[in-house]
Amino acid sequence: MTAQVIAGGDARATLRRNFRRGVWRVLRRKPSRMVGVVILGVFTFMGVFGPMLYPERLPRDDNALYAAPSWAHPFGTDFEGTDVLALVITGARYVLLTALVTAVITVALGTAVGLFAGFRRGRWDAVLMRITDMKLTIPALPLLLVLSTVWKFTSAIEMGLVLGLLGWGGVARAVRAQTLSLRERGFVEAARGLGLSTRHIIGRELLPSMAPFIAMNTLIAVTGAVYAQVGLFFLGVLPFDANNWGVMLNLAVFGGGALTTTTALPYMLAPLLAILLLTLGIVLVVDAMDEIFNPRLREE
Amino acid sequence: MKRLVAAAVSLCFAAVTAACGGGADGADSSASVGSAVFTTIDALKPGIDANAPINPYNPKGNTFRGYNAEWLGWTKNHLTDPDRFYPGVAKSWQIAPDRSSITIRLHPDGKWSDGRPITAEDVKFSIGLAYTQGGTAYALDPSAAGTASNIKIVDDKTIKITQTAENPSSAFVRGVMETVIVPKHVWGSVLPADFWERLKVAQSDAPGAEAARAGITSLAEKVIAFAPAQDVSAGPFVLKRVNPGEALLVKNRYFHNAANVAADQVRILNYTGNEQVWNYLVAGRLDSAPFTAVPAGVMRRIVQTQGNAVVRGYSPVSEALAFNQSRRPYDNVHVRRALAYLIDREQVTKVASPEGGTASVTTSGLHQEAAKAWLGDGFAALEPYRTDPARAERELRAAGMKKKDGRWTMPDGSPWKMTINVPASFSDWLAGAKAVTSQLNDAGIEAEVITSADYPLYLEEMAAGKYDLGFWLVALGPAPYNIYQRLYGAQNGWQLFGGKLTHVAPGTKGNWMGGAETVDLAGEGRINLGELTVKLNSAPEAEQKKIVSTLARAANQDLPVIQLWDYVNTQVVNTTRFSGFPGDDSDALRLTSGVWLQLGMVKRK
Repeated sequence: MTAQVIAGGDARATLRRNFRRGVWRVLRRKPSRMVGVVILGVFTFMGVFGPMLYPERLPRDDNALYAAPSWAHPFGTDFEGTDVLALVITGARYVLLTALVTAVITVALGTAVGLFAGFRRGRWDAVLMRITDMKLTIPALPLLLVLSTVWKFTSAIEMGLVLGLLGWGGVARAVRAQTLSLRERGFVEAARGLGLSTRHIIGRELLPSMAPFIAMNTLIAVTGAVYAQVGLFFLGVLPFDANNWGVMLNLAVFGGGALTTTTALPYMLAPLLAILLLTLGIVLVVDAMDEIFNPRLREE
Repeated sequence: MKRLVAAAVSLCFAAVTAACGGGADGADSSASVGSAVFTTIDALKPGIDANAPINPYNPKGNTFRGYNAEWLGWTKNHLTDPDRFYPGVAKSWQIAPDRSSITIRLHPDGKWSDGRPITAEDVKFSIGLAYTQGGTAYALDPSAAGTASNIKIVDDKTIKITQTAENPSSAFVRGVMETVIVPKHVWGSVLPADFWERLKVAQSDAPGAEAARAGITSLAEKVIAFAPAQDVSAGPFVLKRVNPGEALLVKNRYFHNAANVAADQVRILNYTGNEQVWNYLVAGRLDSAPFTAVPAGVMRRIVQTQGNAVVRGYSPVSEALAFNQSRRPYDNVHVRRALAYLIDREQVTKVASPEGGTASVTTSGLHQEAAKAWLGDGFAALEPYRTDPARAERELRAAGMKKKDGRWTMPDGSPWKMTINVPASFSDWLAGAKAVTSQLNDAGIEAEVITSADYPLYLEEMAAGKYDLGFWLVALGPAPYNIYQRLYGAQNGWQLFGGKLTHVAPGTKGNWMGGAETVDLAGEGRINLGELTVKLNSAPEAEQKKIVSTLARAANQDLPVIQLWDYVNTQVVNTTRFSGFPGDDSDALRLTSGVWLQLGMVKRK
């Protein structure tokens, strides 16, 4: 028994080692994937340590309102003379934390509902999918606009919670479809025939097969959450925070006239560039993940 | 085949021209190629609704003030006198010395755009319509101040309107002159035949008065919804067509001063945000643009466009930071004064409104230009509240506030977090509020900006007393009652009903400012500020000056608000196609360019 456990433990360690090597190989195969990892690493660093790099109250310069880009201010300054790059970096935490919370809730809830409905079928499936359909028919943006009049979303977790609760429907539908397909496969039939528990079948047989799909959805949910929250802040329906990327876009366009003159253009471009880079990083990493989890795509 | 195409094209062209030609009767048909087209926007109508009726009472209606919506007279932009006007439908007017009545003479050759004469009957009928909408001079309540109590047609072109003797108001004359005049022969069906009898009952204390008032008020919806089949205008232009992009108006050839109206057509472009107006100006498309908040960089770009010129004038509006005095610690005058000493108004104005504002000299409730005219030397004697951190610290200590680790706390040591509310859609307010919070944070007061999704919601939440501090427009002149009503009116607890003034408790009936009913003022003793404000309605000019002086000193001492910047009426005109625009500080600057055109001020180049 002890020998079997040791042997099982060794096998898992070998699997993990092989997986890590596989990941490294996949990343190295295309330099763009490494670029994606680096971008996400930079954003993660900004989210975790960004606010620590600057004083609590960012310095202002009354004589440099909407200053042009320079070495001191690579993206110029805002309407108060505050460095725009500092605003983008310190504002990353709210954006990324919201996106992370949204992604976790979207994927956890969507996967749980989809798996349960697809595996149990019958009444549970019918009830859960009707709830999912109802949820999918609710337009998220108008609902968020209405919610914003009564709820100020002052914390990133609140914002992420709401976005997550509004975004799980699509994942649930897709996971259910995958589950319905997988549950008829031979390996699941075999597991059932061996008398393995439902928990084992779902946790050990079905979930790993859907891991790539879930992982990719997590990252895509991150981009969706970034767009949604930045959009809401841009529309001006959420609380003012000078370093929020959406607020920066709003003030650059409506307060600084960034679409009319070049004066406030860097102020608008900085958060846009941040969103673009973050999306690019996610897309490149998703490309790598697809290959990592899908053996048919591997070239060796 | 070619001929067939040519014939089809000709037919289509004929159909199109026929369709376009179906304008209003008085439309000047000579307006065609080579005609002078004046292009502008209407600041009162952001978002043109092509489906809205041609109705001046409808908020979205396709009537444009000064173009095809005509008042009796156009109020001049005067510092202190609200009773100065340019002629509109009225050619001249005679105001009784005590403002008890006004006798209006219409232009003898005044005609509607369908060629019918404009008569005193039309004016009386329009006043009837105004009663359904309410307003300063047209209240149904018999005890309301400044209500027109008697309307007498003297002759076909003369009408005399008398205000109630029991409760006269200095705003009466202006209320009458700002009446929009519509043709009775088009609108006649909107009012019942017995309207004037009903009005008489409604304005009395007789039995059935309440029912009569309700009956007249219920007509409001009908008036707002009325949609004339075509525009019949008393103004210099007639609406020809409207689409979501613009409204096109053509010259009314029956207008009494049509010969001096320089434009044959007016295009009023649609816009929904300031940035669209900036783009129109940068492209040189507008011959004139009314006041629009413009960032300094955009203004620099606008003036580079050939022909664009900036005109600046007095704007009787100031921006202020208003306190909810029922909330701690803003109930303490020392805290309010400390904040006044901490806020650098010059810097706030530079950030928030560099082109459309000038830093307030002090807080008096008056725009600085009006303050000089009303107070004379007394203005300089007011406390200027120049930035003085040391004095602010003394004031905060006097209020019992404590400083711990460089941050100010409440007297009991609990955190003091100051929140300033502004509507998110007003970028200059937002920038101003942020500048104020940055300054206060530097001074050790934790402050933040909270935005509301839109302005109506902002006003609603403010009236409900949900905010500690918020941005608030003050000094809305030129009538002194209107100016001080912003500080000592309904939002500060004074309710005027039936000629009787009462003061309600903070947090009730829209009293969000929560100030005290009476204050001690140096040299005056205990005074009731709301009572003094109401007196401005009926007091003669000499007494008005005394009251304004008292109220200015009270506002300066007590600080229900901190005035931040006084607006400057910054407009852009383009002199490429037209000339003769009003210059800096002109008393016509707050009127629409339609009024400039109808008065013959603007000339074609």
